[in-house]
Amino acid sequence: MIDSRRTVVFAVFSFCCLLSSARLVRDAPAPGRFKASEIALRSDQRFAALKAALPSRGVIGYIGEPGNSGLADYYLAQYALAPLVLDRSDNHALVIGNFSASSSSQASSHDLHLQRDFGNGLLLFASEGAK
Amino acid sequence: MALTVAVVLCLASGFLLVCLSFSRQRPLFSDLLLKVSLSVGFGLGIFSVFYFLSMLLGMSRLLLVDFAVFALLVVCILLFRTRGRSFINATISSLPRHNAEPAPRSHSLLATAFVVSLCAAVYTAIIRTLAYPHGDGWDAFSIWNLHARFLFLGGSHWRDGFSPLIPWSHPDYPLLLPAAIAHFWSFVGHDTPAVPGIIGLLFTFSTVGLLFSALSILRGRTSAMLGATVLLATPAFIELGTSQYADVPLSFFVLATVALFCLHESRVQEDPSPNSSGLPVLAGLAAGCAAWTKNEGLLFLCTILLARLLTLIRTGPPSLTTIARRFAPMLVTIVPALLLIAYFKRSIAPPGDLFSDGTTALHKLTDPARYWAIARWYGKSFLRFGHWLVIPGTLLLVAFYFAAGKTVRKRDLNQADLGLRASILALGLTLAGYFAVYLITPYDIYWHLRFSLPRLFLQLWPSTIFVFFLSLVEDKSGAPTCGADAPGRGL
Repeated sequence: MIDSRRTVVFAVFSFCCLLSSARLVRDAPAPGRFKASEIALRSDQRFAALKAALPSRGVIGYIGEPGNSGLADYYLAQYALAPLVLDRSDNHALVIGNFSASSSSQASSHDLHLQRDFGNGLLLFASEGAK
Repeated sequence: MALTVAVVLCLASGFLLVCLSFSRQRPLFSDLLLKVSLSVGFGLGIFSVFYFLSMLLGMSRLLLVDFAVFALLVVCILLFRTRGRSFINATISSLPRHNAEPAPRSHSLLATAFVVSLCAAVYTAIIRTLAYPHGDGWDAFSIWNLHARFLFLGGSHWRDGFSPLIPWSHPDYPLLLPAAIAHFWSFVGHDTPAVPGIIGLLFTFSTVGLLFSALSILRGRTSAMLGATVLLATPAFIELGTSQYADVPLSFFVLATVALFCLHESRVQEDPSPNSSGLPVLAGLAAGCAAWTKNEGLLFLCTILLARLLTLIRTGPPSLTTIARRFAPMLVTIVPALLLIAYFKRSIAPPGDLFSDGTTALHKLTDPARYWAIARWYGKSFLRFGHWLVIPGTLLLVAFYFAAGKTVRKRDLNQADLGLRASILALGLTLAGYFAVYLITPYDIYWHLRFSLPRLFLQLWPSTIFVFFLSLVEDKSGAPTCGADAPGRGL
């Protein structure tokens, strides 16, 4: 009696667990159809050319989308350019601009001299008056 | 080649450290799954600490450091482990006892569910690791892998990574994960994302292995399969474990601390010899590693010490000698870990973001609306945090407790269950500590709860499963044992 009760309890228990295991498998990315890593696209790959033009260490300025909306882009840039420290400020001798291709004109509101346009909204500025 | 050597050194160092702490009377390869599971975490912990120390001291010959640590552990094993019984006899006598009776149907059913959930978890974890090589989510690239890059690529400027100019990267978070990643990168020669991915996989499945093996030793294989199946079938646990976040590594060390204390109490009951301080030393190290993994681990370290003190006091007023005897072994490893963390926090990391303004925090503590908001989120997250389908795992455990009815009952906790009592209390106190932090958070409380509470619950989930199944026992009313391997001990 107790054994059959236990069997029922364990069967229901196992079924409930396996439902969630099924969700786990269902939600997993389909093998063979992986998209290119978005993080790699928006960090390492996007900043590869710019990185070669920057000093390997120290602190440089960073401008991009203002506020929290630009936070992810800032951290992806920081991740790509480490061990260089990016300060979200234009008060540096070297400043990088990270915009979407369509909004790179926003950079003109800063008092900076464009040194090089890497395309796709990625810009390198020099700021003579900076500390 | 260098990477292979590094992997072997890491795991072997972890294994030797674990073996050093287990009873000298037991053979080196007894409780193998438990030791291997623990070795992964402790090996990575060793790698992390020695990488950090070598950065501090400016030592460049990392391989030499690793070999020195390994050799030291070998010497310690040779010195401190006496030759006990002959290996073969000892191994056979320490194997689990099997009933001659065939396993009941419920046991086979459970074994099938366990294997299926294990396969599903392994498949998903590997697929996710391949699909998201840089992790899945914000914390992987903005905190852990970013800090690892600064350590590895920064050279003499590695401290720049903990600059307050990068505030949202939590520069005050400790370094177990980043330094372990950087250690392996230094052998590979570049910052390949495969390293954090594999470390994530290792922590995820060693947590499962640890849960299974500890429950198997203490309560039998049925309890072990029940517990491991619940954890493997928690989608958020597998997803988070492969997202390259530090929450699953932290959950590993919390579980290791709890399980090692419970194993110690159990073995003291079997053999109260004075030379049984190895497991508390290792449990203290696990708590220290938890604190070296994330700030929440520091809270857990405090709560486990407090919980053990309170449970000791509850059994009767302890003398100072008793307290010293109980606490000295774990403090042997906790104190150095705390010194390391204190040095990091004082000399390298900027102040944390949660405790900056005392007056405002005090004002928030007196606001009842915040208590109510957090309590409601705790209630909601209790049912939602695992990303389960249809039946939440938390409810499943509650339902299991009642539905099992006559087949299981709550154990009467006695003196021998000091470890279990202290563990339950520590987990409860940790949850209370999280609650207190939400009360004073400088961020929007709903935003903070939304983005962190499910992960905080997951940090304690493996340990909760462990203490749940540890606190249940087979009814002795003549029912046949369900755990075919350990009559009268488990479910």
